[in-house]
This record gives sequence, C-alpha cells and structure tokens, in this order.
Amino acid sequence: MTSVRPKLKPETPKAITAWRTASGQNVWMTADGGWSEDPADLGAFTGDAAETALADAKTQEREITDPYFMEVTEDGKIAGRETLRESIRANGPTIPYGVII
Amino acid sequence: MYRYDQFDAQIVNDRVDQFRSQVDRRLSGDILEDEFKPLRLQNGVYLQLHAYMLRVAIPYGQLDSAKMRKLGVIARDFDRGYGHMTTRQNIQFNWVALKDIPDVLEQLAEVELHAIQTSGNCIRNTTSDHFAGATKDEIMDPRPWCEIIRQWSTFHPEFAFLPRKFKIAVTAAEHDRAAIRVHDIGLHMRKRGDQVGFEVHVGGGQGRTPVIATMVNEFVPEAELLDYLEAIMRVYNRFGRRDNKYKARIKILVTETGAEEFTRLVQEEYAAQHDAEKIDLPQAEIDRIHAYFAPPAFADKPATSDAFERAKAADSKFATWAGVNLHPHKVDGYTSVTISLKPIGGLAGDATDSQMMVMAHLAETYGFDDIRVTHAQNVVLPHIALDDLYDVYRELDAAGMSTANESLITDMIVCPGLDYCNLANARSIPVGQEIQKVFADGDYERDIGKLHINISGCINACGHHHVGHIGILGVDRKGEEFYQISLGGRADEKARVGDIMGKALKFDEVPGAVKTIVDTYRGLRTNSDEKFIDTLERVGHEPFKEAIYAAD
Repeated sequence: MTSVRPKLKPETPKAITAWRTASGQNVWMTADGGWSEDPADLGAFTGDAAETALADAKTQEREITDPYFMEVTEDGKIAGRETLRESIRANGPTIPYGVII
Repeated sequence: MYRYDQFDAQIVNDRVDQFRSQVDRRLSGDILEDEFKPLRLQNGVYLQLHAYMLRVAIPYGQLDSAKMRKLGVIARDFDRGYGHMTTRQNIQFNWVALKDIPDVLEQLAEVELHAIQTSGNCIRNTTSDHFAGATKDEIMDPRPWCEIIRQWSTFHPEFAFLPRKFKIAVTAAEHDRAAIRVHDIGLHMRKRGDQVGFEVHVGGGQGRTPVIATMVNEFVPEAELLDYLEAIMRVYNRFGRRDNKYKARIKILVTETGAEEFTRLVQEEYAAQHDAEKIDLPQAEIDRIHAYFAPPAFADKPATSDAFERAKAADSKFATWAGVNLHPHKVDGYTSVTISLKPIGGLAGDATDSQMMVMAHLAETYGFDDIRVTHAQNVVLPHIALDDLYDVYRELDAAGMSTANESLITDMIVCPGLDYCNLANARSIPVGQEIQKVFADGDYERDIGKLHINISGCINACGHHHVGHIGILGVDRKGEEFYQISLGGRADEKARVGDIMGKALKFDEVPGAVKTIVDTYRGLRTNSDEKFIDTLERVGHEPFKEAIYAAD
C-alpha cells in the first residue's frame, strides 16, 4: 500500500520531493534542478516546467527514489491538503524521540 | 529459546549476502525502485515518511540478553539511539540508511535474528502470549508450537506469494493475551484427556474490514496441526481474491464463502491430502524443539518473600509498581515483570539503546536470560524471583522504565501514525500523550482500573483501535486531523469489534472526550471492582454516547 497522492492542477505551484536512495534522507528539488536536504531550498514549478522537472527527476532514480509532486505556494511554502504530512516530512516528527522521560 | 541449526545459520547468512548484492545493484543504478521494492520488502525494509524503516522479526516476542544487546547496538550505531516495539512483538528501526542495512542484517544474524517475512504477502512472525512458559493460567507452554509453525512457514515455497499477508497467533491460556481471534489463524491450545490439540479460529483481522475469526475446528490433535494449517492455506491460496488487495485477506474469503462452506472446503482439502503429502513430523523432532523451551532451573522458594515484603513496606512507589506490573508465576517465589514502555508523555513502545542494555543486563543477571516483547508494546521479564524484585525495580527506575501502568488507561497501544508512517492520515503518538496527561495522577488511574485504549493513525489499524475498550482512529478531513471514537472492542477470548460512537472529534477534543467516557463509567459502575468493559457491556453504549456529545 502507498499513500494517496492528490492530483494537482497544472497551474498549481508544486515542488518535487523524494528520498536519497543510499541514506533515505528526504530531499527537495531546487529551482536549478539540483537536490537539497533543506526544504527551504525547494523550487516552485508550474505547468509544463513542473512536468519537465518531474520527468527529469525520474531519470535520476539511481540517486533518488520515488520523486513526486507536493503542493506549495508560489514562494515555496508547503500548501494544500497534504500540508501537515509534508510539514512533518520536512521538519521531522512532531514529538521528541530517542529520549528517556 | 529457539536455536539455529547449521542449515538455519547458512540460509540466513546466504540471505544477507543476497540482499547485500541487491542493495549494491540498487545503489549502482543497475536496478531501480520498481524492481528493488519487492526485494527490500522481503527483507523487512520499508520506505517511510522520513527514511527507510527496518522491521526485525522477534519470534513470538522472545529475546535473550545477547539479542537485546545487539538490538541496542544497532539502535546506537545505525539508528538514532532507539527502537520501536510493534504489535507483532517485533522491533522497528526508523532511521537506518539503506547502504548500512546489509551490515545490520549481518550483525543480526550473529545473534540468530533476521528481518525475513516481516513484510510482503507471506506468513509473518507467529505471535503468542508474552507470559508463555511462566504464567499460572496456561495449560502448557505454547512456544514450542510457535517455533514449529515458524520453521514450517519460513521460506515455505507454496506460501511465499499469498493473496495478502498472513498472521498466526497461538495461546495456551484460557485468558487470551495474544489476540488470537483477530488473526488470520488463531490457535487456542486445548487438552482432551492426555491429548493436546488446537482450537482453530480462521479469518479474524482488523484493517478497514474488522472481523472476529470463525472457529472452524474445535480440536485438531497436535500431530495433525501442520497438515491442517496447510489445508487452510491451500484453500486461501486457491480461492483468496487477488483482484482487489482490500478484499484479499482470508477474512474476506471466510465472510464471502460463509463459515460453513469455508470449513467444508478446508475439511475437503485436508481429507484429499495424500499420505505422501502429509508432514510427518517425527516425535523426536517435536521433542527436540520442546527441549529448547525447557523451564529454567528455578530455585525451591517459598511463595512469599520477606525481602519483597520489606521493600514494599519501605518504598511506597515500589509497592505501587509491584501492585500493577506483576503477573502471577507458575513457580512459587517467582513473578513475571512487565516493563512499561509507556511513560507519561513518552513515545509508546520506544526503548533507547541504553534502556535495551539495561533490560539485557537485568534478564541476564536476574531473569534466566529471558525477555519478551508484548503485542501491547511493552517488554516482559518472565521469570524474576520475588527476592530480587527490588533490585530489578531500582535499575528500571534509574533507567526511566518504572512506570506503574500495565493494562491501565495510560498503557495504550499506539501506532507510529503520521509522525513516521507513509500510510497514516493523522498523528497517533501526540494524541496518546495528551490523553496520558489527563490520567497522569496515579491514584486516579488506578481507581479507573484496567482499560485499554488503542490508537491508529489510519484505517489499516496497526494500533488495533477496533479492539480497544476505547478505540481511537485518526482520519483526514480536508487536510485536518480528526479522530473517531469507538467503544466496546476487546481482543481477548470475548473478542469484539468496537462500535463507532458518532462524529469524529478534533485533536484537541479527544482527551476531554476520553475523560468524559471514563467519568461516566465511574458514575455507572456498581463498585470499584467492576471493570470499564464490564460496565460498558452491562449498561450499553448509550450513556457514554450521550455524555460525549452532550454539548451538540
């Protein structure tokens, strides 16, 4: 089973995110087509440029795994109905972990 | 404890080498994710929200100190210093890098652990009563038969590609602590005179379609068990639906076929087995496996312990803990200790690397080197002398593992939820933590008594919400977390699926609603000995429903 990823309209700004294959670290595509482990660096794409960027990401599936669109605002803030999920993915679990209470 | 023979060791080591080669090919780009995914899943490697997750099988939840220490080493050296105990009595590591997983598996193999069949459409880890071999109320130790089932089902070629995953649980105590009636096959060990056999329940399960299993046979003699299981598996393999994964579990087959017809099909398949097909399990082999689980060399002790009584009198916190977290042992002078992994405000089921080392040390020093992981995400030291209990307690207390809440309201089953899981719709852990805060007062909690809250972050029900006395299911409503409350579920010998109370509540409303349910119970119970679930079954759900939604 995999999570359901909502279909986004062409005009909706979107970013591309994936996992680094070797480490599993989450990554986001930057505006110039590179990959960053910092979600603040993500690029916002629309229309054909977004489709081209995703197609390009899929050609890089040695380095990264399962790239997909996530909704963002024009200035690159996480948006849409998956905001909570993608925010947790970007910022880590919402609770402290690995600590003795 | 099970032991590997030379074939077991070889096959696990070969599997590590094979997976190392597969990982190398994935990292070099020779194979991509679509090809690699089924390979990694066969080795317990999931890709979760933040990272890869490795699920390690713990056969029927049993560990020894060497295995627990190794899990601690892996948590420390390859993860972020902790591991998560699961409802299949397994352990998961949340942050392991794919490139390191072959090394992790190699280290696990050194202590006879692996991650095989912890994912995929195969027979998963067989689970059992975490007090097996120790509890007063069992008719025998179910672990030898769990081990026989494990050996039969591991790499069984006929059952490597079932319609869906398949889970088996075994108990030998009248009070079912292994939730066997919500398993694909649940086995309840019975005796008829001197003969040992199994009451066989089929088609239980949770997920989006919760079903309580149907009893298909009152007594299958032990010599026939594996043949009978094969008959069930063959009926499932042949008729189970492969066109729709949501309808592929055996519970759907049993429901759609009808219990009577399904039972007839199994009997027909069983009767059709040729002699040459029968699994002729030699008595010597059965005896050999039983010998692995021979009781430890208990000392001859009185039923009571002066040291224990003195410690209780001197340390009220210890007395409180001992009143909650101990389970009667079959041997005088001993007890089974539940180490709660549910500290108030903590992460349900998580243990740090240092805590794993402490548990290993305690088992080795005081507990005949025996450790169990429970399906309620705690850890048990099954054989502790009452004389040693205070020493054990003090070490647990120093390591943050002395929470006195076993089976109380703050001892919740909680799935990882949206904080970790790629499938979740809502967070589970923080909801559980907020509920815990409401009941953090120990006197209040103990006055409430036994009450199971189970929380799942999605309909897949990893948190067993359907069978919680109070079940909480996280759902997504247009991007916002909501929580459905159900009441009256139970996972024991009176297993039942809970009833949804009404409209789902917002995150912030859940702790208050749970308190309302609990206080309604306290107002309705005949006396403080009447448990929540008994009051609920006596008075019905309506008063609780009215109380929750009174403001609407």
